[in-house]
Amino acid sequence: MKRRNFLKTICAASAVAAVTTPSMVLAKDAKPKGANALSYDAAVKAITGGKAVTKSDKVSLTVPEIAENGAVVPVKVNVESPMTEADHVKAIHVLATKNSNSRCADVMLTPMNGKGYFATRIKLGGTQDIVALVEMSDGTFINAAKSVKVTIGGCG
Amino acid sequence: MAEARKSMIKIKPKKFKVGDTVKVDFIVIHPMDTGLKKNKKTGKIKPAHYIDNITFSLDGKPFTTMKVWETVSTNPYFSVNLKVPGKGKITVDYTDNMGEKNSKSKKLKPKG
Repeated sequence: MKRRNFLKTICAASAVAAVTTPSMVLAKDAKPKGANALSYDAAVKAITGGKAVTKSDKVSLTVPEIAENGAVVPVKVNVESPMTEADHVKAIHVLATKNSNSRCADVMLTPMNGKGYFATRIKLGGTQDIVALVEMSDGTFINAAKSVKVTIGGCG
Repeated sequence: MAEARKSMIKIKPKKFKVGDTVKVDFIVIHPMDTGLKKNKKTGKIKPAHYIDNITFSLDGKPFTTMKVWETVSTNPYFSVNLKVPGKGKITVDYTDNMGEKNSKSKKLKPKG
């Protein structure tokens, strides 16, 4: 009798464990979001204020096609502009579409820069697009996007 | 924790004249923690710690300001251009979300 009871409890315990573990694992796997989490659409809306954004050849975005390590992805943005007081690049925003916080850097430029250029290194959580959103001094927005394949994510 | 961080300003190319456009690279040693990673030893989540504001200025006149988030890599590198108006001093001021304030400066010496 004792043995039977023992087996019963063991079976019950393992059944309970089998039921609970998958959900617990799922809860752990659900990616936590940082304090600054902001989706790509919301970030674009916050920057442009609802204005239209057009794709332009003036913006050239240099990123690697395949990034082996998502923790360090070099990004280079070049914008064709005379950079005079009347016509210059006002701001370059670097965005990653699928990061939990899609904003990477907002760079405010002035005519003193001489060229619309910005380079940095960013983290990517997975394969996604990088977008350079550029605000010109006349208030128009232009952008360029490129996708990057990430083999190992670097966000957490 | 107001220790000075290791940082560096590089001007490329090394030899330049007045009126040239040079690259100003700024590198700083900073963890740039996202607030999502765990400390492997203690198992606790590391709090977010990242640089949020950077100002590049020449003789006190800012020419580039940046807002940055934790999505920028560890030991970040930022590069912008500058049209050299003459002799001066480039200063980079940066703050992080924990209130650390630091600055680094370098002289700008055009030749010819």
